[in-house]
Amino acid sequence: MADEVDPQQTTNTVEEPLDLIRLSLDERIYVKMRNDRELRGRLHAYDQHLNMILGDVEETVTTIEIDEETYEEIYKSTKRNIPMLFVRGDGVVLVAPPLRVG
Amino acid sequence: MEVSHSVKERTIAENSLVILLQGLCGHVTTVDLRDESTATGRITSVDAFMNVRLAEVTFTDRQGAVSQLDELFVTGRNVRYVHIPDEVDIRATIERQLQAIHRVRYFGGRDKGRKEFPRAKYK
Repeated sequence: MADEVDPQQTTNTVEEPLDLIRLSLDERIYVKMRNDRELRGRLHAYDQHLNMILGDVEETVTTIEIDEETYEEIYKSTKRNIPMLFVRGDGVVLVAPPLRVG
Repeated sequence: MEVSHSVKERTIAENSLVILLQGLCGHVTTVDLRDESTATGRITSVDAFMNVRLAEVTFTDRQGAVSQLDELFVTGRNVRYVHIPDEVDIRATIERQLQAIHRVRYFGGRDKGRKEFPRAKYK
């Protein structure tokens, strides 16, 4: 082909931070998002903007309610499950392996 | 299969996951917006900047009020999530979109026509 763009090189070495995400492909990951949201799901695809496709994802939204009388902060979290989700990268804050407790 | 008429948009789409969303045209999906409202409808088009046009939309706003809209345009910046329907094969959809772009790019054959990425004639 006369006018080919070089096919993207896929190496096995970790050269830049995005390569660390590449190591998590097909694994379950934890994603912290803006607006106090968290996602836990299986990473199927990602791109340079951190747009991601997550499967079997559980979204947790955390809200703080202030009790009118005692003025204490009550942390509430709402969860929902979505089978397959496309996430726009500009909402992503961090990507990590799923948190282990204990 | 509508490929964008713009070289710039084709290149942007080809190098990011937006191309999957472009392949969802015709499917009924739910788009979660940045401001917590949601729009469920049939995707008419998605451009390289993730601007989405939907048809026959059930729009639920932040407060929970539901309305029906014939058409809805969502700016790419305002998209938070796009729910991918179960029946969509993601890999096949992406490959189909890439093939459509390559068909447009290599239109006219190898030695004919103005090329998108010309080969360097001189070194």
